[in-house]
Amino acid sequence: MTMSKDFESAVEGLAQGAAGSDAAAAGARTGPAADAASHASVPGLRARFGDAILHHEIVAGDEHVVYVQPEKIVEILGWLRDEPSERYDYLKDVTAVDYGGGRPLQVVYELWSIPYRRGLRVKAELPLDALEIDSVTPLWHAANWLEREVYDMFGIRFRGHPDLRRILMPDTYAEGHPLRKDFPLRGRFSRAEQTRRALSLGLEDVYFPEELEIGGVGYRPAGSASDGKGPGATEGGAA
Amino acid sequence: MGMTTGAGGRPLPLVGQGEASWLTTKLDFVVNWARRNSLWPMPFGTACCAIEMMATAASRYDLARFGMERMSFSPRQADLLICAGRVTYKMAPVLRRIWDQMPQPKWAISMGACASSGGVFDVYSMVQGIDTIIPVDVYVPGCPPRPEGLIYGILLLHEKIKGESVFDRELHRQLRAEDPDAVGKPNLPEEVIQQITGPFGNSTKQNRVSGLVSTGALARPGDRLS
Repeated sequence: MTMSKDFESAVEGLAQGAAGSDAAAAGARTGPAADAASHASVPGLRARFGDAILHHEIVAGDEHVVYVQPEKIVEILGWLRDEPSERYDYLKDVTAVDYGGGRPLQVVYELWSIPYRRGLRVKAELPLDALEIDSVTPLWHAANWLEREVYDMFGIRFRGHPDLRRILMPDTYAEGHPLRKDFPLRGRFSRAEQTRRALSLGLEDVYFPEELEIGGVGYRPAGSASDGKGPGATEGGAA
Repeated sequence: MGMTTGAGGRPLPLVGQGEASWLTTKLDFVVNWARRNSLWPMPFGTACCAIEMMATAASRYDLARFGMERMSFSPRQADLLICAGRVTYKMAPVLRRIWDQMPQPKWAISMGACASSGGVFDVYSMVQGIDTIIPVDVYVPGCPPRPEGLIYGILLLHEKIKGESVFDRELHRQLRAEDPDAVGKPNLPEEVIQQITGPFGNSTKQNRVSGLVSTGALARPGDRLS
């Protein structure tokens, strides 16, 4: 059965985990190069950026994927957004994929052009020892939280991000980045330790002090000294 | 408790060291009858089980038949916490705080597989049974349980309340003590949490795939099957 053999080799690849980054690793780009003319944006991309466009393939029937050099990501996505013939003005999603086995991580940008009713998936591959890429928040504000989630789950750092911190896991989370293939499914700490840490979480571990401020009254952690006259109470009394 | 005088000037014990007196059993009966027939549930619905809980409260199954005239969305006016659905570690301090805010006497129902054991979510982010966080009186199995299942759990809790005694101070001290040191702490000792949350079933295979067992670098001594 070829199918089960494929499955076994895939599981083997997973079991190897992130053994280290090999610059010569081919990544997960396995599909044959697609005809550039089959997507309206690819000839323009190739003409404008040349070698920075590494690969173009079609997956799942009609979904076009373009692999680009990570150094040029802001330049390329900015051109795709602003060029009158492209107008990819809607960033649907930013996410990442880890295929394991030491292969590079892929950062995935899902673009959609509202004027032309056209979609394009742009991927950039990052070797495991250099997980850094420029942030696209200057192009789309929507990328802010999406890139925070990628940072939280995969540990990819976004250069120039205005507020790069964890978004789902607490700031004090010390077990790593959960969606990486080398992350054990049940976490790194024991269940008792995870329970203890979870219950000792305070509001200040999840939120900024400014986010906890209500009506000018600052947040005061439990157990801190309180005279019942916070700044808000004084202001309220004066008014 | 004081003493009263019976026939012939003999003192009658109200609370004896031996068997319960006529007055205490009658008082227990009345108090327990009142308590179990006016339980106000605090719904802690986090997932699909909450949909079944809402169906249970709606007209077809009608929780009001059991004295649950209203869902109490404030823990301060609730007797019964119904945890319906999976609880993440990020949600665990919220659950514990709501439990700590409920006044005595209070009970808890763990509704569904995820709340009772973590269910299929044997992963890094999920509490493996809310009894590691708060004391639980009744576990309702199912994924999710049908409304009949939840009602059966509530009736079991009625039976449990029926057997309690207002004079059983030890019970209240052990299970529901307002111990300031216990507030915000895990409900079980560390060894017990380790023992009841070891990997089981499919999750042992998943550990192998993620490289946990094969390298041994990340194996934990507390895991039963590592």
